[in-house]
Amino acid sequence: MVCIKQVPATTAAKRYTADLRLDRAAAEAVINPLDEYAIEQALRLQESGAVESVGYLSMGPDQAGEALRRALAMGGDDATLVTDPALGGADAWATARVLAAALDKLAPDVALMGMASDDARGSLVPGAVAALRGVPLLSYGSELRIEGSAARVRRLTADGFDIVEAPMPVVASVTDQVGEPRYASLKGIMAAKRKPMETWSLADIGLSADDLHGAALTRVVEARKPEAKSPTERVEGVGADEAVTRIADWLAARKLI
Amino acid sequence: MSNDVAFLAEFSDGAPTRAALELAAGAAELAEGSGGSAVALAYGPGAADAAALGAAGASRAVLLGDDAAPAITHAAAAAATVRDLKPIALLAPATPNGRDLAAALVGLLGLPAFGPVRAVRIEGGTVRTEQATLQGTVITVSEPTDAAEQPAVVLVLPSTFTPREGGKGSAAVTKASAAAGPFDAARIVESHPAEAAVANLEEASIIVAGGRGVGSADGFAPLHELAAALGGAVGASRAAADAGWVPYQLQIGQTGKVVKPALYVGCGISGAIQHRVGMQTAQNVLAINKDPDAPIGEFADLFVVGDLFSIVPKLTAEIRRRKGL
Repeated sequence: MVCIKQVPATTAAKRYTADLRLDRAAAEAVINPLDEYAIEQALRLQESGAVESVGYLSMGPDQAGEALRRALAMGGDDATLVTDPALGGADAWATARVLAAALDKLAPDVALMGMASDDARGSLVPGAVAALRGVPLLSYGSELRIEGSAARVRRLTADGFDIVEAPMPVVASVTDQVGEPRYASLKGIMAAKRKPMETWSLADIGLSADDLHGAALTRVVEARKPEAKSPTERVEGVGADEAVTRIADWLAARKLI
Repeated sequence: MSNDVAFLAEFSDGAPTRAALELAAGAAELAEGSGGSAVALAYGPGAADAAALGAAGASRAVLLGDDAAPAITHAAAAAATVRDLKPIALLAPATPNGRDLAAALVGLLGLPAFGPVRAVRIEGGTVRTEQATLQGTVITVSEPTDAAEQPAVVLVLPSTFTPREGGKGSAAVTKASAAAGPFDAARIVESHPAEAAVANLEEASIIVAGGRGVGSADGFAPLHELAAALGGAVGASRAAADAGWVPYQLQIGQTGKVVKPALYVGCGISGAIQHRVGMQTAQNVLAINKDPDAPIGEFADLFVVGDLFSIVPKLTAEIRRRKGL
């Protein structure tokens, strides 16, 4: 089961609503790019026969269904969207709580996620979901393998890599080193329209709005533009010797040499 | 509930990591303001010497475990410790291990999570964090809601705090009570250290980074020379790491290291947003690129349009000359 998040495209113009949330309706939305690597990893495991089926799970507004359709166009079998008016502005804890409850119902051997989301970048959801489900975590894999009843990831260390293993079920996250995500083919896009997609409310996964404390334990109290940077000094159309003198002077003026 | 500020202190190869020393200084600074103490949650090979964190700013240290097991296996002991301690904030390094442990605490204890942040303060008993979101287009300040329990779990970016130098003192060390959980089932079944030493970019105050424009593994040789002349380390963009020119440990960016050096020199790096989020807080940014329209030209402090292979070796020689090397 691959958990995916719909995020505003990197290039999209971003607007905040009056209460300082991202205006997700106003931004072009895509599958979180790092989740596409998780999708690719899952589909490779399915193609090699290591897993029987690949499903997708997302939490978000109705339009997050589009992200699930796009994932289904890449491959896989079915999708589930958890959507509820009570989930607006969900933070890492609330998101993990909802995904964990949905995964309890779906009961996959591996719940697979991207290593981070493009918009929040906390990388907290995989570990929090594992904690809430009471299953092991295999994080930051540059490759995920299934070996009998165990899952294994290859994970970078300070100067090399380890192979980390845990018995399934597990929560796993993978990096952008698993292999470039495939594009959806026209055939895949057509096939995706007929694949089953379920929509669940909070009640369907046994949670209430009260359980989620207003969908967040955190609140944004201020949003502002970053401080303006000093303008760039350009050195252009000069020879290498002149460029080197200019750079060395610049470094010296900043006491860097 | 207490006014203490706890922090995750990872040890590696018998010594506290740079991140542990930074967070010790940060926790001490925050604890002074909140009227509590800085308490280390120490783990990893060498953590038995956690008393040494006293010189870095910690008043007390709780030893979670000093074996080489995956950091996440200390989650149950960390949760039990945090439950007893109820600190106002728990600082965690924004590294893979730090994020895993922080995430486990958020899930196990139902805690508010923040970050990765570039500033954190405690004002009138409230933890406030400052984070660049949406690829750095917006800065948000956040705090726990009224319903949230202590601590606020805060992921802290490298170089947000500066380690204390010449500090004295010893932290009072206690051992965490034994605790078990499902995370313990993860174990390292193979370990493959690199044959050659790999620089720790988070400790470098000067970084010379190469990208697609460097063209090959051999193309990194002049960058290594320049880094040596400057007293810095070599980093890379994802394109260069993917091409196998340098190890992935040197990758800077969204899926690599986040660095904040005094000087960042980008050679043949276009400056895509994924790279930018890993280095945009560098104090001084110099970029050398033959493409006058490279995006890095929009946010570098000094942008030199030219061929890195003719400029970099001459720059190395000039720096050596001026430094009298």
